[in-house]
Amino acid sequence: MTSRRIILIALCWVIAISLLHATYNLHLFTPRDHTARTRFRIGFLPVTCHLTCPVTDFINKKIYGESIFEPIRFNGWPELKEAYLSNYTPATFILAPMAIALREQGVPIKVLYLGHRDGSAVMVHKDSTIRSMQDLRGKRIAVPNRFSNQRLLIFRALQQAGMTVNDLELVEMAPPDMPAALYAKAVDAISSGEPFMAQTELDGYGRVLWLTKDVWPNFISCVLAVHEDMIKHNRPAVQRLVDGIASSGKWLDQSMSHRMESAQFVSKYYYNQDPRLLSFVLSKPPDRVKYTNLALHRHDFEEIEQLGRASGILKGTAHFEDYTDTSFVRDDSAVQAYAWEPAK
Amino acid sequence: MNADSKTLDKGPVTETRRRVPGRFSRTMNDPDSKWWRFVRPVGMIAIFLTTWGLAVRLSQTDLFPGPGSVARAIVELIEKGLLAKYVIASLFRVTWGFALAVLVGVPFGLILGWYTRAFQAFNPLIQIFRPISPIAWIPVAILWFGISDLAPIFLIFLASVFPICVSTIAAVQNLQPVYLRAAQNFGLGQWELFHRVVFPASVPQIITGLRIALGIAWLVVVAAEMIAVNSGLGYLIIDARNAGKRYDLVVAGMVMIGLIGLVLDLLIRQLTKLDSVRWGYSK
Amino acid sequence: MNTAVAVQELAMSFRGKRRNERIEVLREINATVKTGEFVCIVGPSGCGKSTLLNIIGGFVEATTGEVLVEGSPVVGPDPRRIFVFQENGVFPWLNVTENIAFGVRGKSKAECHENVRRYIDMVGLTGFETAYPHELSGGMRQRVEIARALAANPDIIYMDEPFGALDFITRLKMRADLIRIWQSERKTILFVTHDIEEAVQLADRIFVMTKRPGTIQKIVPINLPRPRNLDAPEYLRARDEIFQLMGMSLQVGI
Repeated sequence: MTSRRIILIALCWVIAISLLHATYNLHLFTPRDHTARTRFRIGFLPVTCHLTCPVTDFINKKIYGESIFEPIRFNGWPELKEAYLSNYTPATFILAPMAIALREQGVPIKVLYLGHRDGSAVMVHKDSTIRSMQDLRGKRIAVPNRFSNQRLLIFRALQQAGMTVNDLELVEMAPPDMPAALYAKAVDAISSGEPFMAQTELDGYGRVLWLTKDVWPNFISCVLAVHEDMIKHNRPAVQRLVDGIASSGKWLDQSMSHRMESAQFVSKYYYNQDPRLLSFVLSKPPDRVKYTNLALHRHDFEEIEQLGRASGILKGTAHFEDYTDTSFVRDDSAVQAYAWEPAK
Repeated sequence: MNADSKTLDKGPVTETRRRVPGRFSRTMNDPDSKWWRFVRPVGMIAIFLTTWGLAVRLSQTDLFPGPGSVARAIVELIEKGLLAKYVIASLFRVTWGFALAVLVGVPFGLILGWYTRAFQAFNPLIQIFRPISPIAWIPVAILWFGISDLAPIFLIFLASVFPICVSTIAAVQNLQPVYLRAAQNFGLGQWELFHRVVFPASVPQIITGLRIALGIAWLVVVAAEMIAVNSGLGYLIIDARNAGKRYDLVVAGMVMIGLIGLVLDLLIRQLTKLDSVRWGYSK
Repeated sequence: MNTAVAVQELAMSFRGKRRNERIEVLREINATVKTGEFVCIVGPSGCGKSTLLNIIGGFVEATTGEVLVEGSPVVGPDPRRIFVFQENGVFPWLNVTENIAFGVRGKSKAECHENVRRYIDMVGLTGFETAYPHELSGGMRQRVEIARALAANPDIIYMDEPFGALDFITRLKMRADLIRIWQSERKTILFVTHDIEEAVQLADRIFVMTKRPGTIQKIVPINLPRPRNLDAPEYLRARDEIFQLMGMSLQVGI
């Protein structure tokens, strides 16, 4: 075993593993389709708030054989945000307060459309005695991110109950870790987007304290946003994007069977989750989440701005006109749903 | 002539041994035979697995998986063809990150170890950057390298290059002066001195640094794959977390990482058996 | 006979721990060594004999004075004068053959191979050509080092207590082998030791040094034929003389 032989072995290994990786993971040796290059990337997380993204992708592939964009799934908000900042994903779904905060920091971001309405909740352990906001006094509640709407939601619920944020303990936690934390009673309540809340209900240890629709009707959570340069240089693509997302929303709300169908193909091909999670969230109760009326309205965002300033995450230097562009959806009621039925 | 190390650490002479009858009596009665060297760790692992299984069953936990469900999860991954893909992806990134760390760290370490002035200039910088965890570099990695294999490779490189560099510097600085004197006596020029004496004399310690760095590189792979790559064992763990209750996949990923880590360490330990290197390790 | 080594007015001092403190190690050393001679330097521990040899070898610079080897002043180590260290001078990453071949220059591969073979046999290591130093005993390692020095074909060999780390019987054997080799190769040898008996058994002339700061108090010639009889009265007389010079009693326990 001389050193020369070792160097030879090492070289062989490097070449072999690189070839294997290129073949299996990078698909460098499979024939490329050229249209893939002209599509732009859009970031999303495996949450119901971003459901219209995979739905649009899937339906377009079914109807036209190819999609408008290339969806990229991320595992957490920080990576999603950083990918947008480095322009890897010129379009992305993102938390509304985060979009506003980025605009305040000078990032050229434009919100175009909403993700969905409602679709969030606060869950407690089913054995706990917490039944109202007052019962949360002195307790620990987990929220996803400083800039999440869940935090603002709780803020608003506290205001409504006459409490302040100092009456309880807020901790930041990644949404996938929340069900386990609740199970282990490490926290007293959790709040984030679906389907992580429904997971605790389905698995039998969680109980709804309140749904968003009970506290803040028509609550908006995530929004669809694109880079300003994309609007400048590729307006038609942006229009196609917004049209697609809007049509998907209408399609989802057209019938329960559409929703159930989407639960299947989104879980399997995009979210890598158990389909019964999404099926549960999209149906019990049916108005747990809504995908219509997703055009941008000033008062939705001004409410968020106000709550954001009050809770200290926004400075108040960016206003509706700065961070939105409503020119892509003139009239929400004129949007047509996708005319696609899944094959039986 | 050769000191037989085996005879040095046998137990006390009066140790009683149970006589095992039969064909294998000789191997089984010798506590240092290959048979026992194999049985001891395997036995320990079996005990560990049993304890784990019992603990899970007794605590009636709903979430933490037992060894059975983890084994089933591994089979599931193999059936879906994902296990090979993920292992290849992680090995690819560690290979390149580690290889780059060696190519940068060893020469740099040799130079810094040999030239005192260079050492004085660079060492504080090295000591400042060394303790920064690769996880802290994740945002920087995404900004510089985007969402591709380059970002995790960069992180793995960062994690490995410092232990390699530091060990190499120490190896050169701890060089026995007598070797240098003898070499100079034989009239070796600077370059010859370096590649015929300084480098070979440093290799044992450099290899120790490589072992440590490889362990760290493989450890960092989970953190490095937290960035939106879509393959790899680290990705498997992060993704299983997002998929809901798939803690069996999480632990399956951990088990695979551990097993491969063991194999990697065994492989690099073979390097220490080379004749031109073996002298550097005390028996 | 030519003068191989000439030391003139050599003195050596180190800087001490305190400011302006100087530790004098060697003082007024004057000596010559003739070509082909076997000279031993004997002295008590710490008298500076190793330092003297290192200065002559070119590894250390003297504070004052000069060393001339074959007429020219010493500026550094030189492959024509090989130094044999007390221990661990052998390169552990090379096997016996590679170590011995290390200093061989300007020869073709076949010649080099032949050379190495000759010296392996001469030091009695036949059969261990591919062995590594860590597999050998201390005595065998020293043989490798001596063979390595010889194979480089130097004019002078400096030896700094080369048998100091070996046991008594091995030492006796090594001394006999060294004399045998020296008689066939006739190199000039400068041999440092603290063992008076060893010096009397090996040397043509012995430089007896004082305690620190060391200087040569007397040069004792040994005109005994080799192999030397350890019972011969002349041997014992020379040995006793050196004992007395170094202020030591002839009886243990006083």
